Amino acid sequence: MIELIDEKGLRRDGRRVDEIRPLKIEVGVLKNADGSSYIEFGKNKIVVAVYGPKEVHPKHLALPDRSILRCRYHMAPFSTDTRKHPQPSRREIEISKVISEALEPALILEDYPRTVINVYLEVLQADGGSRCAGITASTVALADAGIPMRDMVVACAVGKISGQVVLDLNDTEDKEGEADMPVAIMPNLNQTTLLQLDGILTPEEFEKGFEMAVNACRHIYEVQRKALIDKYFGKNEVGEE
Amino acid sequence: MTISRKYVTPGELIVEGDYKPINNVIRVDDKFYATKIGLAEIGRGGIRVIPLSGPYIPRVDDLVIGKIVDYSAFSWEVDINSCFFAYLPAQSVFGRDFSPDRESLLKKFSIGDLIYAKVVAYDRTRDPLLSISGPNLGRIPKGEIVKINSAKIPRLIGKKGSMIKTIESATHCKLIIGQNGIILIIGPHDGILLATQAIRMVESEAHLASLTKKVQNLLSESKEV
Amino acid sequence: MSAVKKSVVVERLRKAQIVEFLSKEKRLDGRGLLDFRPIKIETGIIEKANGSARVRIGNTQVIAGVKIEIGEPFPDTPEMGLLVVNVEVLPLSSAYAEPGPPDEEAIELARVVDRGIRESKMVDLSKLVLIPGKKVHAIFVDVDILDTDGNLFDAASYATVASIATSTMPKFSVGQNGQIKQEDEAVPLQINCIPVSITLAKIDGEFIVDPTSEEEGVMDARITLTFDDDGNIRAGQKGQPGTLDFNQVKLAVNIAKDRAKEIREIIKESIKDAKG
Repeated sequence: MIELIDEKGLRRDGRRVDEIRPLKIEVGVLKNADGSSYIEFGKNKIVVAVYGPKEVHPKHLALPDRSILRCRYHMAPFSTDTRKHPQPSRREIEISKVISEALEPALILEDYPRTVINVYLEVLQADGGSRCAGITASTVALADAGIPMRDMVVACAVGKISGQVVLDLNDTEDKEGEADMPVAIMPNLNQTTLLQLDGILTPEEFEKGFEMAVNACRHIYEVQRKALIDKYFGKNEVGEE
Repeated sequence: MTISRKYVTPGELIVEGDYKPINNVIRVDDKFYATKIGLAEIGRGGIRVIPLSGPYIPRVDDLVIGKIVDYSAFSWEVDINSCFFAYLPAQSVFGRDFSPDRESLLKKFSIGDLIYAKVVAYDRTRDPLLSISGPNLGRIPKGEIVKINSAKIPRLIGKKGSMIKTIESATHCKLIIGQNGIILIIGPHDGILLATQAIRMVESEAHLASLTKKVQNLLSESKEV
Repeated sequence: MSAVKKSVVVERLRKAQIVEFLSKEKRLDGRGLLDFRPIKIETGIIEKANGSARVRIGNTQVIAGVKIEIGEPFPDTPEMGLLVVNVEVLPLSSAYAEPGPPDEEAIELARVVDRGIRESKMVDLSKLVLIPGKKVHAIFVDVDILDTDGNLFDAASYATVASIATSTMPKFSVGQNGQIKQEDEAVPLQINCIPVSITLAKIDGEFIVDPTSEEEGVMDARITLTFDDDGNIRAGQKGQPGTLDFNQVKLAVNIAKDRAKEIREIIKESIKDAKG
């Protein structure tokens, strides 16, 4: 087994166990989309576009009392170590569903009956935790599109490597580690909207890890907020009239 | 009690206490949270967030600028920059005894035509219905169109129409505003370019308190050139 | 749903204006007929790819990534490596693009871009053979269309060229038993020329270069020509139902040839940065 944490307690990329990778979020990166965002989280590079609400085609799929949320998580063929076929894989389809269900609780879909809101995620470069980065970026794009929401959704994973609970696994740690648990929350309403786990954690590790993930999400939420504030209110003047 | 304002992002706690939610806020116990990016106002009437983005939602009596995108035997389909395409029934144009055998819809409007129309019906269960009966309504024969987010239209109009008047008099242009975020500018070529610049400034800096002054500066600087 | 909504319906007012402006040799965005919008090329943006480039032409934005792997040659060209250029018009890119298999326009786009690169012999495929008839290098160039505002043909082509030109290739060695081993070393991918694609749109009898979505919405015909470093034409494709008279065909070549020289310098500048 590869040693993932050294004697100083540092991980192979130099992070402490409770440290997330470098994070950058931008708002409004695409001209055509109703809302858009770009995230870099570790080596993840993901662009998200929101189109809608708009009419549903075919029309019989429309719901009379609310909008439909559709997410499409797609990986560019050059985003992975070996080229990925452009056609969506079963993994991408499952992640699309999981992302959609992580976002949906936050959205006030009842405001737009008979419509659809499309969220398209394109992973330009994939690293560990791309679904979490995708969820975090999608919420920002939805806010940019002006879709009403009860709260933002923000996601981060925890895992276990070399016997320790650590925050935010990168690709190697995800592959070599003992457990990976992505978590998404609504930070103001204190609700969980996504929880997946594969690997092995004791109930104590689970509890500790969950706490770590929630705290990291609160930090990431501030980055989301800042990206929106920079775009909409400028960096300088925030005045009143 | 004065109105207090602050900029908010979705999910942000605006205030705690006993207030009435007006729009773009949700209430959880005594806490009020914003549901959109915008300017939160806490006033006597209650709490609301004036959004800075979002789709155009039609309201009855809104005047809109739309584009004919399709037609059937009985109606035109109109893109009004909203969640739904709007319908302009042939009867409302040709009269009640309209018959598709006698009249061709294409004689009146063809695909790509722009119209200035009024929303006469819309609710959660039905698509917006338009009418062109009224002064100045109907096909738009000339002018330049500019599209902005409909949430920013009130800012473009300004208090009692002040912003729009400022732009119109400085550019010698006439501005016709669709509530759906589409603006028609009619006037001399240079005026159109300047007016477009001013509208773009309103769109990108709608949140600034000093917006009126900035637009005035833009307009007067260009005059000197 | 009618087919009309699948593409941009340009306001008739706008079409009339476009035509009126063209008669005065002007365009709605202030450009001359033969002017490009600002072109911005960044390379080396995807570390996991062997080469990559983001190209912006006005509001059009595309990203190309190169992956070089080991593949099997086509039976009819056992001593040639593989080069595959694929273009995906992503649903992110406009309200009219739908998820799902590419439609005929997207396939035409991919094939025209591929042809320009292939026919200009930018990469010498005969040098990409490891075991003749069995193992060769396979170069995959995938182009993601992120934001559409016209001239996808040229944008996708420039991204493809810039990403190939800045690619490094893993070195492979062939053992005695035919085993292929990847070495740690990486070498730059050799290129022979910089093919440049130029697309002209014909509107109301006038040619313009680098059309926007709106201009494409009212164009009668389109022609894409790809030139090599020596000014030879390596690929061409006329598109759309409109026609070009014989003199217009010659005129198109002359216009495109001059533009191609200028664009080549922009591409060269962008790949120079990447190579240090």
